[in-house]
Amino acid sequence: MRTSLRVIAVALFVVSGFGWIIEGPPSLMAQEQPKQQEEFTPIDQLPPQEQLPAAPLLVGAYAFVLLMLFGYMFIVSRRLTVIQDEVDRLDRETKRTG
Amino acid sequence: MPKWFTPAVLVCAVMFAVTPFVIANAPYESTMGLVQKVFYYHMPSAWVFLTASVVCGIASARFLASGDARHDRTALAAAEMAVLFGLITLVTGPLWARKAWGTWWIWDARITSSLVGWMIAWAYLILRQYGGPGSEKLAAGLALFGMANVPFIYVSVNYWRTIHPATTVVPKLPFSMGFPLLFCLASFYLLMFLLMKLRVRVAEQQARLDAIYLSLDEQA
Repeated sequence: MRTSLRVIAVALFVVSGFGWIIEGPPSLMAQEQPKQQEEFTPIDQLPPQEQLPAAPLLVGAYAFVLLMLFGYMFIVSRRLTVIQDEVDRLDRETKRTG
Repeated sequence: MPKWFTPAVLVCAVMFAVTPFVIANAPYESTMGLVQKVFYYHMPSAWVFLTASVVCGIASARFLASGDARHDRTALAAAEMAVLFGLITLVTGPLWARKAWGTWWIWDARITSSLVGWMIAWAYLILRQYGGPGSEKLAAGLALFGMANVPFIYVSVNYWRTIHPATTVVPKLPFSMGFPLLFCLASFYLLMFLLMKLRVRVAEQQARLDAIYLSLDEQA
């Protein structure tokens, strides 16, 4: 379980870094309330630096999901193998010593 | 592991391999476009997170009532599922929100209560890991609070002012969007069941190992 906690902590660190890469240092504690709109502007009339692409966010989300799921499965499977091997070894020793 | 486990794992793997194609065929949402497709993993993760919290609470209640270690192992496995899928929900949500709402995070009722629920599941695991003898029952008590939080998380969007979509969205989905959602939901629930089965097996074998070491110590 300690390894699982470490993996989750590392994953959180990686995701935070991903957030920084997308748009610089975000401030999670500050309430960024959406501003009230006074007019509608088509997206293609915004300067390029203000148009946020969706694809990196979407790909990042799916990549994170798969990373977490595969990571957890790998950790649990490896732990089960280690424990099972140890149980089998002790069973054999117990039977041998009577 | 039981004989059906490996075929079930294969079925789950195939289902997850198919989900990208199913999601790609779903139409774009009119206001959010491409980024809305995070929904097909975000919502099933949220449902599994809430379900795992409830399972953890029920198993903890049965453990407190009966003292049966099997319920404790189930509760532990369910808590790990809640932390895992809760984390997935709390990360995929902001990645979607940044594009859809223009902000990574907002302290509204649904998102804040989800964070609190996830932290309760996290606290359960930390208590089990570092709490020492007797921490099983303390953690079981904590899990009951986590389960009590789940209805608040679900109805929060209907009763408090929030930017998060309401619960009426899903029943009103057209088939072209509803089918991919249901397919992903089935995939996630099957995965949760299999992971819980695996995790309970680890706990059982660990308990068996501890019993063997104890008997060897007594013999020595």
